[in-house]
Amino acid sequence: MSKILVVDDEEHIRLLYSEELKEAGYEVTTADSGYKLLERIEEEKPDLVVLDIKMVDYNGLDLLQDIRNRFYDLPVILSTAYDTFKEDTKSIAADFYVVKSFDLTELKKKIGMALETRLPS
Amino acid sequence: MPFYEENPKEIKKADLVVGIPSCNEAESIGYTVEQASKGIRQYFSSLDSVLVNCDNNSTDGTKDVFFSAPGDVPRIYLSTPPGTSGKGSNLRNLYEKARDLQAKVVVVVEADIKNISPHWIRNLAEPVLKGAGYVCPLYLRHKYEATLTSSVVYPLMRCLYGRRVRQPNVGDFGFTGKLLDSFLNSPLWTESVQLYGVDIWMTTIALNSRLPICQAVMGVPKIHRVKDPYAHLSVLFQQVVRTIFDQMAIYSNFWLQVRWSKPTSLFGTDSHEVETPLPVEVNVNQLYERFLQGFDKYQGMWERMYDQTICPKIQEIRSLGLQHFSFPTQTWARIIFDAANAYHRMGEPERATLLDSLLPLYLGKVLSFVKKTERMSLQQAEEYIENECTVFEENKPYLAKIWE
Repeated sequence: MSKILVVDDEEHIRLLYSEELKEAGYEVTTADSGYKLLERIEEEKPDLVVLDIKMVDYNGLDLLQDIRNRFYDLPVILSTAYDTFKEDTKSIAADFYVVKSFDLTELKKKIGMALETRLPS
Repeated sequence: MPFYEENPKEIKKADLVVGIPSCNEAESIGYTVEQASKGIRQYFSSLDSVLVNCDNNSTDGTKDVFFSAPGDVPRIYLSTPPGTSGKGSNLRNLYEKARDLQAKVVVVVEADIKNISPHWIRNLAEPVLKGAGYVCPLYLRHKYEATLTSSVVYPLMRCLYGRRVRQPNVGDFGFTGKLLDSFLNSPLWTESVQLYGVDIWMTTIALNSRLPICQAVMGVPKIHRVKDPYAHLSVLFQQVVRTIFDQMAIYSNFWLQVRWSKPTSLFGTDSHEVETPLPVEVNVNQLYERFLQGFDKYQGMWERMYDQTICPKIQEIRSLGLQHFSFPTQTWARIIFDAANAYHRMGEPERATLLDSLLPLYLGKVLSFVKKTERMSLQQAEEYIENECTVFEENKPYLAKIWE
């Protein structure tokens, strides 16, 4: 079972993502901020991270850079309420992005693609 | 080995080698040398460094300008024999010299860049010191600049090798000394690689090395000598596409295993203010005419080469006329895949004709891109290209099927 770490400072989003992704067959853990995120990733070894871009104390795009520098091939899906973040070059280090919605069809599709991605090791 | 070498300081070892390939660049190489020297001193003063001019036996005094340009970083001059041309030949001399010098990091910058500054050296070298194997710059580009990259090279390379390297054949790079043997021992060393094909050849080898790839955000456009984009288009197209197709045969065991694609790490995202790209004019009438001319010359070849569903599609595209011109990405991806497969199976004499026959279709695809994106911002046009890449990736199982 693939393990997904959802990082979002909005509780209702963490609950929604958590419930629906568990229903879709994933193991889900959550974090409410970017605090010690790299250490958590190191410990929990998720197969994929869903990362909110705008959190109260953290910039998701900066966290994305840190993740990419330390865990080169860990899939990261950016989750955002607005798509203006695309103006920032840092966003291209993400595997995919989704606009937050109560319908998680797109998120599940992107998770599927990211987990299916295969490069010879 | 280089035909000719001058190493006045008798440098025998260097951690950082900055190579500047050239052919009659006396007018411009002095500035590049000065800026590269500053970059080395400003950011890598603790490393043993050397500047290497790998030249094509220039007759305009390039060597003298290289040695007399301001800066105190030691210099080595290498040259191919008279009559041997091409950036690839120069770079081969550089690889050999860098290996002799036991270089940990090698940076290549072109000799005619008008706006190079010290931070370019930092952006290309530092990621390697931090663990990257190969660094491609990300220059600021107008949406109609480098359409060969946007329409063919980027989507094809990305779907083949699974890594999203946006400007894989831009001409300047940083890489680890560990890659030197891979470059020198490559089974492919053709005339195309020695000329325009060398940049994409290097990136392909790096992608297949499984070393981490990094893209360095430069924040500025790359400004070099004004070139007419159509003057060498046919030769450039032939050599670049030929090199990609040739390497597909070598690395099929790798790319047949790749599904979808992954991003690279980035460097330099915080360091600079972003400038505005230089405007690029496109002559849509010329693109349209050259697309139409392809029918007179190559229709027979297209019918032999492409899947039976493709030729009716191309006819349909033609029937749209200039005003409503549109070249579906799905059709374009199939054409590229069929062409790569046909190239793989045919003998050398036919290959040149195949590549020539692909050029009018490419120009039709560029025309379609220009029309679709004319009202788009740079960022929107980039998103459009990203979507096109996804179409290539979605259709990759077709390529795998026909290839095998």
